[in-house]
Amino acid sequence: MNIYGLVAAGGDIDPSESVHWLWPPAAELIYGGIASLIIFSLLWKFAGPAAKKGMADRTARIQADLDAADAAVTGARQEAEEIRRAAGDIDAERSRLLAEADAQAADILSDGRARIETEVAELEARAAADAASMGDRLGDELRAEIASLSAEVTQRLLAETLDDAAQQQMIEDFIQKVGSSS
Amino acid sequence: MSDARIEGYARALFEIARAEGTLDEVEDELFRFARSFESSDALRNALTDEMVPADRRQGIVESLLGDRATATTMQLVSMVIGSGRGRDLPEIIDSLVARASRSKDLEVAEVRSAVALTDDQQTRLAAALANATGQQVNLKVVVDPSVIGGIVATVGDTVIDGTVRTRLDQLKSRL
Repeated sequence: MNIYGLVAAGGDIDPSESVHWLWPPAAELIYGGIASLIIFSLLWKFAGPAAKKGMADRTARIQADLDAADAAVTGARQEAEEIRRAAGDIDAERSRLLAEADAQAADILSDGRARIETEVAELEARAAADAASMGDRLGDELRAEIASLSAEVTQRLLAETLDDAAQQQMIEDFIQKVGSSS
Repeated sequence: MSDARIEGYARALFEIARAEGTLDEVEDELFRFARSFESSDALRNALTDEMVPADRRQGIVESLLGDRATATTMQLVSMVIGSGRGRDLPEIIDSLVARASRSKDLEVAEVRSAVALTDDQQTRLAAALANATGQQVNLKVVVDPSVIGGIVATVGDTVIDGTVRTRLDQLKSRL
């Protein structure tokens, strides 16, 4: 009994009663082969496209994954390039900022020196003017003091030396001078 | 004090002196007293201090003028000082002198000299000033040592200055 016979017998058949333990009977082999062909044909006809489509989809999905990975690699490379470029830009910006700071520092230093020189010149001029003014003022005060002292001394000398005769002479001179003017 | 009040006092003093018949003498004494009053801070302060009783101030006047001026002069000054008008005394007296001079058709000539002038010098100076100003003058001589020497005469708005003091001031200014 072959395997089909065994199945049909529901397990009640003794395996020792089979014709051959491996090979079924010829008829069974024929219709079994025909049934297998039919089944394979049906599978080929109906399940084949679906399987082919599944394979194509899988292939497409894998390709998409590969493309995505490739794109990711490309993007990563571009990003790396941009980062490198940005790093280069940062270096250039840093250099530019440093150069600009150096220039500004130089300008500030130059302006500061010029301003200090101007202020120093103004201070010197003002000090010179103040000194000259003070000298003039002291000279004026000294001259005024000398004049005042001279006048005081002259007055005292005159008061001491103007005797009665001189006084009378001055009075007579005044009377004569006034009398002669009309 | 207002000019009207000063003029009022001057007119009153003038009328009293003229009624007494001593106008020339009183006028001259008052003029000299006014100049002393102006030049002496102590006298001015004593006679114008309102904290000093009026009778005390009048006593000072009497002790000063008692034997140096006529009774009329002393009484007139005492009256002004006693009435509390001491600060205006010089202006009142100047107004009186001007009024007295006008009554005689004269112009007041204030003369300051370091030494006193003799009568002859005063007569000749009055004539010289009359010749120079064209007006007969009532000469009022003030002995003022501060002029040092020479004379300065003021007739109205005209000042004729021949003093050593002025020459010294000019010299000082020039120096």
